[in-house]
Amino acid sequence: MTNKECYKIWAPSGKKWTDWVRPVPFIVAQADVKGYHAGELLIPTIGFVDESWKNAAVIVDLPGDEGIEMGLAFAKLGYRPVPIYNGTVEQKNARATVDNQTVGAALLWGAEILKKMEIDAEALPVFLLDKNRLNRFKLDVSVFDNSWDVYPQDLPSADYFLKNGINKIVVISDSLSKDLKAIFKKYKKKDICICLRHAH
Amino acid sequence: MKLVPIPKDKYEEYRLTLMFDCYKWDPQFLDNNTVAKYALVLTQQEHEELKILTEKLDRETQDAEMFLNQHLELTKPLALPRKMKKEVRLMQNYNPEKHIRLMRYDFHPTVDERWAVSEVNSDVPGGFAEGSLMPQAAIDVLDETGDRKYLYKNFGDNLVAAIQKKVPSGGRIMLVHCTSYSDDRQVMQFLGDRLEGLGFQIIYAAADHLRFKDKKAISILDGNEGEVDAILRFSPLEWVSDMKPKHWEGYFDTTTCSCNHPIAIFAQTKRFPFVWDVLEENGISMTTWRELLPETLNVKDAKGKEGYIYKPVYGRVGEMISIREACQADEYKQIMMEVKMCSKNYLAQKKFISKALEGENGEYFHVCVGSYTVDGNHAGYYARISQTPRIDSNAADIPVLIERGGA
Repeated sequence: MTNKECYKIWAPSGKKWTDWVRPVPFIVAQADVKGYHAGELLIPTIGFVDESWKNAAVIVDLPGDEGIEMGLAFAKLGYRPVPIYNGTVEQKNARATVDNQTVGAALLWGAEILKKMEIDAEALPVFLLDKNRLNRFKLDVSVFDNSWDVYPQDLPSADYFLKNGINKIVVISDSLSKDLKAIFKKYKKKDICICLRHAH
Repeated sequence: MKLVPIPKDKYEEYRLTLMFDCYKWDPQFLDNNTVAKYALVLTQQEHEELKILTEKLDRETQDAEMFLNQHLELTKPLALPRKMKKEVRLMQNYNPEKHIRLMRYDFHPTVDERWAVSEVNSDVPGGFAEGSLMPQAAIDVLDETGDRKYLYKNFGDNLVAAIQKKVPSGGRIMLVHCTSYSDDRQVMQFLGDRLEGLGFQIIYAAADHLRFKDKKAISILDGNEGEVDAILRFSPLEWVSDMKPKHWEGYFDTTTCSCNHPIAIFAQTKRFPFVWDVLEENGISMTTWRELLPETLNVKDAKGKEGYIYKPVYGRVGEMISIREACQADEYKQIMMEVKMCSKNYLAQKKFISKALEGENGEYFHVCVGSYTVDGNHAGYYARISQTPRIDSNAADIPVLIERGGA
């Protein structure tokens, strides 16, 4: 599967929410990820989604490829997974703050599963993030800092969510990340409810 | 100048091509698609006119910065950032022959059938891949019959040629950028891949990965240590000054080929017009600038005057510009409050009325044509369109084509 074919599976043309899928990890996947083995990824079973989630978008903010596993678990429940990973690969031979390549390998792996699923055109979105993106610690100045933040422009606006019947956002994580908190300020102003749910 | 639609049945594939083959890694901004559904087509005459104006502006700008660099006592009206005042004094050894001077002038067509220039991106202009690969991708979908109706100026070719001229063959080039931003990396990656293909050694790194010894730049990036032959910087100077990495003063007096050298700061501040009088008194012509840039005033001098907009002195991509009809919700109120509270960080500029171009369904688009120079020569275009007169991050990138033989 080429990187473009993989992208097209995660972001099929003309489907709701797919405009927000970021191409960066898919592009990187072609150049650098093929040497990585995604290993045995497991799709968990989700038992916590109930009627109260019917107007909710989900943001999965879990470390590394766990976000993709969880995203596919939500896809099995009928959600549209929307990967918004946006980290870059470090300079060759340099130590880096974040491994941004694992998600690329997992996206390739996940595409094989996702392409067999039928996702409804009106499916609710589940946005996928890597919690490790915020690893900023540098042992010393010579380390390549490829940590990254998610910004308001990487997600739909509050108005767009509301126009599409979404008035709640559930974050699947152990805590609300600083960058998400900044984005949520604008959502809260428009009365979008933010909830946090642990993955396990 | 006109908008030519990308055929609807080819648009999705065109957008994918831009993402995967043309380094367009940011095709969506909030709720907006940032890939225009059109190409912008200039006539040969318009292209020639823009080329001449761009090169004239560039000559004036470079003359001005050379003069100011030798007469720092005259730069007070520029109010350069306090954090770099000491370092600016180190640039006395600046020799344009050793460095690569890259700038982009933003032109807007106006309703009175002329051009207005809103600014020069003197320090770190972007849009490299959009100005190099996007036009060919557009031609591929517009010109299927192969009648060679359009041509374009490949910015990347011109920048790379300048690098080849000034950097030793096979040399090490550090691409200095904010390594946390994929939007910056896409610009660097385009250039890095081109240069690597020509045998240069490329190091992607941040501003604090350079040290300077005997005025030569040295990489301290893990696994990539040692002298570098050129610095291509995409981190804005004022951001670097905020970060203030240790030994950053080396950027100002280095003899390592730099693109851009910090000399760019004189024209990067939008207070640049405030030294034009003194420049002209000293024999530096600013005629083209005066012709094209709307009148610019200190905020306090515009008080009570009609028809002015406010913009940040170091603003980028149209952010925080007070064009009322382009502002969303309470944004205008917020900007005006900010102008009132921090008036020194803003200036007032006479508003020009942008001429919008008609799209295929009767919608109208405002246009900003960024026109590059490399070492004084016109080098290509990077354009954006928007349904509001403010061209900001919500605008869409559009390839610039030139109609063969068009009048």
